Amino acid sequence: MRPENYQAVNHPPSHEFELNFGPNHPGIEGNFALKVKLQGDIVVEARTDAGYLHRGFEKLMEDRLWIQNIALVPRICVPDPVPMEVCYSLAVEDLANIEVPERAQWIRVLQLELSRIAAHLFFFGGHAATTGMYTPMYWGVADRDLLLDLFEELTGGRIYSIYNLPGGVRQDVPEGFLQRVSDTLDYIDGRLKDYDNLFFTNQIFVKRARGVGTINQQQALDWSVTGPNLRACGLEFDVRRDDPYLIYPQLDFDIPTEQAGDALARTLVRRLEMVESIRIIRQVIKALPDIKGPLRTPIPNPLAWRVPAGESYARVESSKGEVAYYVVSNGGEKPYRVHIRGPSAMHAVQVLEKLAVGSRLEDIAQTIFSLDACPPEVDR
Amino acid sequence: MKKSDLDKVKIKQIPAQKRTNPFANVFDEFVGFCRSRSMFMLHYCTGCGAIELPPAMTSRFDMERLGIQPMVSPRQADILLITGYVSIKTLKRVILTYEQMAAPKYVIGICSCTVNGGMYWQSYATAKKLDEYFPVDLYIAGCMPRPEAVIEGLQQLMQKIKANEANSWKQYYKNYDYFLGNQQHLFGNNWQTPTDVIGEAETYQLAGPNTLGEHTKILQSVQTPLKPLEMKL
Ligand code: SF4
Repeated sequence: MRPENYQAVNHPPSHEFELNFGPNHPGIEGNFALKVKLQGDIVVEARTDAGYLHRGFEKLMEDRLWIQNIALVPRICVPDPVPMEVCYSLAVEDLANIEVPERAQWIRVLQLELSRIAAHLFFFGGHAATTGMYTPMYWGVADRDLLLDLFEELTGGRIYSIYNLPGGVRQDVPEGFLQRVSDTLDYIDGRLKDYDNLFFTNQIFVKRARGVGTINQQQALDWSVTGPNLRACGLEFDVRRDDPYLIYPQLDFDIPTEQAGDALARTLVRRLEMVESIRIIRQVIKALPDIKGPLRTPIPNPLAWRVPAGESYARVESSKGEVAYYVVSNGGEKPYRVHIRGPSAMHAVQVLEKLAVGSRLEDIAQTIFSLDACPPEVDR
Repeated sequence: MKKSDLDKVKIKQIPAQKRTNPFANVFDEFVGFCRSRSMFMLHYCTGCGAIELPPAMTSRFDMERLGIQPMVSPRQADILLITGYVSIKTLKRVILTYEQMAAPKYVIGICSCTVNGGMYWQSYATAKKLDEYFPVDLYIAGCMPRPEAVIEGLQQLMQKIKANEANSWKQYYKNYDYFLGNQQHLFGNNWQTPTDVIGEAETYQLAGPNTLGEHTKILQSVQTPLKPLEMKL
């Protein structure tokens, strides 16, 4: 947004200068950097400088047993770790031809959607902070903590649960857990109205975010944008519905879209998605008590488990976009090759570099946060 | 020096020094008390542990009641929080940041990855032990430590500062040769930072027998002295 009396100034080309934006910068998400070339305060060129969080996951995974990798994969995307676990498990199950019991599938959906709400709350917090509004940040993080408490009760870990494994889930839901989930959802549902007043319809935010980092539908498809960022351009594509996994076909939910494709639309899509996730979890809470059966299909001795040779590809919809695992086995105790397709690698590198050009310096932070990229997953 | 020789070096803790003048001691205690109650924390999100800091900083656990606030510039920060694994590319920036901070400065290593490499023990891209590259006051172990643990760790650091025991920044000057050796081992012999650590050590009168050594000799031979930038309008 420009002040009303703004007048463009023509700078001579010699006024171009370079600015390092990050890695230790309050306007950047995590440990990530941008090199921007500025003319006045207009960005004329932007280059991402990634690699600060590189750990070499794909190589590390070749060195560990199939089951040990479960502990490694959630570290790839820290704010939203559950889809990583589930997706890896799905790929390995496909390879080993394991049928997952129905109850385990429902519990996985419960986790996935809880994780989506938590990640979105965290996203609002971060995004609000880039526009100078710190109250939504405090609220978002505090409400997300309620969900982390639920995770802790279910899995034992606040962030990294290591609860899914090829074949199913580790334990059953504790007694009274579903009631507590339901109570928390009621609370969050009630809070959404306050969030609307404070943040989503607040003119301070709306005026700042409208028109920032606009992508149109064709560009989004060309740049392999996925997830909420794609839906913000008006394309109704969601892996949960278009390439269903687990028990999503049995659930009733809508896929919210927005048309504008800018930072505001991306935020609103996520706001609407939270409502849908709450709807899904309510259905799970209703159905889960009647679904009996085992929690996992036993796998042979996990320390010497040889997964049959072959390759498989599994994808799930995470809160950031489409996550996919391509797993190759040569019949050994360890994966032969694992490739991870993460959404943030596209959003934070190729999309961001193009969106930043022409925008003003203070809008860069907002563009990064509205794309909801997660740097550990860019670098892996 | 080979890496195996560097591994044998033992860094001793610097105890709190009592001065002979009782009034000076009271003054020291007062200064320690004040320092421990108002700290700015530069948190450089180096790894996944950073995700537990927002809960620790905001309403639920509220770090601010301890007098600790986030700060964006290293020049004004007192605490450097290393939140998780440091890849080699990050470590260079962390060292630059650490050297820019004004003394007294305190370093906290959060997460098991800073202690011994954690679950990336065999990764080719991460530095394993943080205190080989610069001194660390306190570790908070866990993968990842809960916000309660972070708060507890910060309280311990406050106790240490109050007792004038958090002196790790002096070790950096006293054993600069050792730390520089490890840095050179990782980044190559051309490694240099803009900060003149040896000069600072002499100014603070903290230069000891281990400040200079064979690694600082390498540094001095490759160092290009920094010239003041030309002012142009
Ligand atoms: S100790 Fe665990 S949580 Fe912390 S940086 Fe290492 S892997 Fe991440």
